[in-house]
Amino acid sequence: MPEQALPVHEVIESAPPGPVVRCSSLTKRYGEVVAVDRISFALEPGTVTGFLGPNGAGKTTTLRLLLGLAEPTSGEALVFGRRYRELEQPARHVGAVLESSDYHPSRSGRDHLRTLALAAELPVSRVEEVLELVELRKAAGRRVRTYSLGMRQQLGVAAALLGDPDLLVLDEPANGLDPAGVRWLRTFLRSLAAAGRTVLVSSHLLAEVAQTVDRVLVIDQGRLLAQGTLAELTSEGQTLEDVYLALTGDEAA
Amino acid sequence: MIAQLRSELLKQRSTETTLFLFLAMVGFVALAVTMHVIALSPARLSTNAHQLDVFQVGTRAAMIFAGLAGALAITAEIRFGTIRPTFLVEPRRSPVVAAKLAVGGLVGIVYSLLAEGLMAAAAAIAFSVRGIPNELTGGDYTRILAGGAAAGALWGILGVGVGALVRNQVATLVGILAWMFLVESVSEGFVPGAAKLMPGGAGLSLAGNEHKLSLAVAAALLIAYAAVASAAGWLATLRRDVA
Repeated sequence: MPEQALPVHEVIESAPPGPVVRCSSLTKRYGEVVAVDRISFALEPGTVTGFLGPNGAGKTTTLRLLLGLAEPTSGEALVFGRRYRELEQPARHVGAVLESSDYHPSRSGRDHLRTLALAAELPVSRVEEVLELVELRKAAGRRVRTYSLGMRQQLGVAAALLGDPDLLVLDEPANGLDPAGVRWLRTFLRSLAAAGRTVLVSSHLLAEVAQTVDRVLVIDQGRLLAQGTLAELTSEGQTLEDVYLALTGDEAA
Repeated sequence: MIAQLRSELLKQRSTETTLFLFLAMVGFVALAVTMHVIALSPARLSTNAHQLDVFQVGTRAAMIFAGLAGALAITAEIRFGTIRPTFLVEPRRSPVVAAKLAVGGLVGIVYSLLAEGLMAAAAAIAFSVRGIPNELTGGDYTRILAGGAAAGALWGILGVGVGALVRNQVATLVGILAWMFLVESVSEGFVPGAAKLMPGGAGLSLAGNEHKLSLAVAAALLIAYAAVASAAGWLATLRRDVA
């Protein structure tokens, strides 16, 4: 199933060469609290990057800043060289899932995808394609309130894939997936990267991350503590978990 | 904008909310008609002015349910989090707000025609059963339907604006109901001079149920309320972060 060919996607004419994502001194304050503190990183095409950090570290806030849902206090976050809000037809370039519960409970999965396809000016036939891709076609006519957490995650991934994007941003996509679902997700993300797409995925499942990603960003208390390839971070023979817990000083947890 | 409009129309059609609101409105009109047309003495139903006054049940129902439907169009998205995918697809946000205002107005017109039509049918039956001559003219009915549709449209837009500003679904819905059933009702009893200028009062004059304001003044006032609410909700939506 992951071998299924992705539909031909459109070339982004306006995208300048360079990183897919670039955050420069990205900062977000809420009053006295600094949720994101001068974070800088770049994502290169064809890579899967794991975004790691304890709860409340600022991962989701960083993703919201990147995706134009929140405005940075200072610094900037660029996607394909532009602010997210300035992208033409963003769904064709970026697919994102921030929460596994962003559904109206009495709307069917298929209608949820249709509302997004209509808004993004995508052909409604894409809805059936992405349902097939995440193996959710049988349940597509049911109201989302009857879905398991894993099915909601799959529906979120389906929504992110509607525009056949070059960048996929997923916040905790493995939560609630069964082992087969986790393997499906891993294989799927790797196949996207192999096709030259870029993936940014936040997760707490370090063993799973270690099997899936090329690069890692570690954040705590709003600050970026480490970034690099998986091999660089674990070069002294530790596991990703050892490195992560040493960095975040969270050994007790 | 057209894309957002098509998406918003599907959002309206694809949940049970629209059906529940419609059934609630039918129940509301039926109850209110029973109380007014059946319980009032024939002496209080005999003149054209009396009968127009009774017909304000339809206009009130239209305004309340249009306001609730408009408010739900935005607050349900915030409550259930679908606002995030909605704004990921259209991060400029203005086309989304514009489409919601348009759909709020459209839904308001539909609710108004249903409510006023239901009211007219129920009243015609009740008058006939009780042997009370129907004193309403064709002109009265035209005014009630057209003016009521305009009032419903503007209340639908008002509901979207207030919902975008307040964001909390329960607070918005309770606020709209409290405004109509407490603030405006109490004002009608104690400060009628102010009540006729309020959004509900202006709507009643617009639909010809009352003649406390001229058609032009009633329309201008209600348009102004809808414009202020939608401008405030629009600006707030552009400026605020999405949680």
